Amino acid sequence: MTLEVVIRDVKFPNPVLAASGTFGFGWEFLAVANRLGGVVTKGLTIAPRAGNPPPRIVETASGVVNSVGLENPGVEVFKREILPRLQRVKCPVIVNLAAGKEEEFCELTETLEQTPVAGLELNLSCPNVKEGGVVFGQDALQVEKITRAVRKRTGKLLIVKLTANFVDPADTAKAAEAAGADAVSLINTLFALVLDQEGKPLLGGRTGGLSGPAIKPFALFCVERVARAVKIPVIGMGGIKTGQDAFEFICAGAHLIQVGTANLVKPDGALEVVKELRRMARTRGWQSWDDIRGKAGEGRFS
Amino acid sequence: MINWSMGQVVEVARVGAEIYSVWISERKISRKVKPGQFIGVKVPERDDLLLRRPFSVADVKGGKMRIVFRVVGAGTAKLAHSKKGDRWDIIGPLGKPAPLVQNKSVVVCGGGVGAAPLFYLTRVLKEKNRVVAVLGARRAAELVMVSEFRQLGVKVYLTTEDGSKGIRGLVTEALEPVIKVMEKPVVYACGPEGMLKALCPLSRKAKVWAFFEERMGCGTGVCYGCALPKKDGGYLRLCQDGPVVSLDEVVL
Ligand SMILES: Cc1cc2nc3c(=O)[nH]c(=O)nc-3n(C[C@H](O)[C@H](O)[C@H](O)COP(=O)(O)OP(=O)(O)OC[C@H]3O[C@@H](n4cnc5c(N)ncnc54)[C@H](O)[C@@H]3O)c2cc1C
Ligand SMILES: Cc1cc2nc3c(=O)[nH]c(=O)nc-3n(C[C@H](O)[C@H](O)[C@H](O)COP(=O)(O)O)c2cc1C
Ligand code: FES
Repeated sequence: MTLEVVIRDVKFPNPVLAASGTFGFGWEFLAVANRLGGVVTKGLTIAPRAGNPPPRIVETASGVVNSVGLENPGVEVFKREILPRLQRVKCPVIVNLAAGKEEEFCELTETLEQTPVAGLELNLSCPNVKEGGVVFGQDALQVEKITRAVRKRTGKLLIVKLTANFVDPADTAKAAEAAGADAVSLINTLFALVLDQEGKPLLGGRTGGLSGPAIKPFALFCVERVARAVKIPVIGMGGIKTGQDAFEFICAGAHLIQVGTANLVKPDGALEVVKELRRMARTRGWQSWDDIRGKAGEGRFS
Repeated sequence: MINWSMGQVVEVARVGAEIYSVWISERKISRKVKPGQFIGVKVPERDDLLLRRPFSVADVKGGKMRIVFRVVGAGTAKLAHSKKGDRWDIIGPLGKPAPLVQNKSVVVCGGGVGAAPLFYLTRVLKEKNRVVAVLGARRAAELVMVSEFRQLGVKVYLTTEDGSKGIRGLVTEALEPVIKVMEKPVVYACGPEGMLKALCPLSRKAKVWAFFEERMGCGTGVCYGCALPKKDGGYLRLCQDGPVVSLDEVVL
């Protein structure tokens, strides 16, 4: 079967994307990027951001807690220096946007409208910035307002990235859908605190976000819940490392999936997922993704 | 270009108190890796230990590379129990090669297991420079690769904090008189953060290149996890801009 997934007018050659913040800006491992379904860039802000003080990343049981704090060179440098490099990426490139105010999201959107990027992912769920970030994502009204404002300014594929921290993502997903989002993606990292031997916060940003296999069952729960609540496509992520993991997210209702932390372990972490999914599709004789998508509720099948 | 491939453990040896040396046979990376660069090792059979452990390369020889590490946690403990023939999933070379000088008076200054990455560097630097080594540790059992340094034919000064070998005191104290008699010395230092901090005043008199450590996510530049504060604001990405960095460039 063809692995292709089409959302709006964007053709993803396969359903596996590299998640924001775990694959640089997408051009660093070109040979890998060119065989993925798509890549989502590191979160981009209007002004350059230095990020949080170190340590920024720490391993926990089957997971990783990070407080990178959206270090990025800002949208001008992105357009001037990074975008030309992204021309060489063959799969769709989605730019992940972060901002502390609605107007900033709008400005970023307008700045990118004439560029060849395939779509935008609004990060309404970053736990590592004080202003905006996750706060927007916890409030369905804010999600609706920001999504609507951005929607007015872009004809590109618009994805809203949701948080599952202290909010029912089914509510915020419905808000994004009502405001014209083409898809929602979830989950972003979960709130986390790591203390050292003296009981002091280990991370420079004090708190951080948990990702990796440790969050997979919760992510899967959230993705299924949201997929049942909205009609727009759902992009699932959280701890995906194998083809089987990706298969489970598709069964839970995801159209696309993203691989994050697994890219840190291996530059081609997401590619392994593609290969395994392709093998599963062949050996299990699926005709199309519809054969499995959202079928988790229907008991046993292969 | 970064490679990722399987290497085979060819020799594991305990070389000090809780310090192990492992030779890994792997052609692609060991042919390319330069002094100062490091590799990322996935701890075998421990999927719960998610991230790779970064280790500087201590030496290379004909399709093999050596790492020397201290057991500090679950990952290094597991690696120390490796057996000849075990297969390790590694990526590398990571980071930038250390800058190499020519026709200089060079001092390599290692604290504890920090001597190991300096060994490969010394072997290369000694071809075109006059090199002496100042190696220190808390106690004699934590001094590593001393005889190997001597076999290279470089003069070695030893210090221990408890006086169990060499001069009693800190490696940084032993370094000062050595440098004083040199003209335009260049120092390469690798050791715990406290040692690097103690070297900061010296970086006004001599060029000091220091090997830094920071917790890493990817080691390949894509996660922005390995930040080291710069003097002029912002951060270095240690796995891209380092791990060997001019000491006067950063804030300790
Ligand atoms: C560029 C670089 C080169 C290094 N070279 C050497 C070497 O040659 N010999 C040696 O003994 N050690 C070296 N280290 C330190 C070594 O990576 C850590 O001691 C090791 O990762 C600890 O793993 P663990 O599972 O035993 O400890 P744990 O504490 O259980 O590890 C938990 C997590 O913290 C990270 N971590 C813990 N301590 C450090 C540290 N000091 N620096 C970076 N990450 C850390 C681990 O990688 C892991 O992700 C180097 C570190 C860096 C960044
Ligand atoms: C180091 C790191 C940096 C991240 N940076 C961003 C970011 O800039 N924007 C964003 O929307 N998500 C970011 N994320 C979240 C991931 O995109 C993803 O939602 C999350 O890690 C869950 O997936 P995983 O378990 O596969 O990693 C980051 C995650 C990690 C580990
Ligand atoms: S460890 Fe990921 S960028 Fe350096």
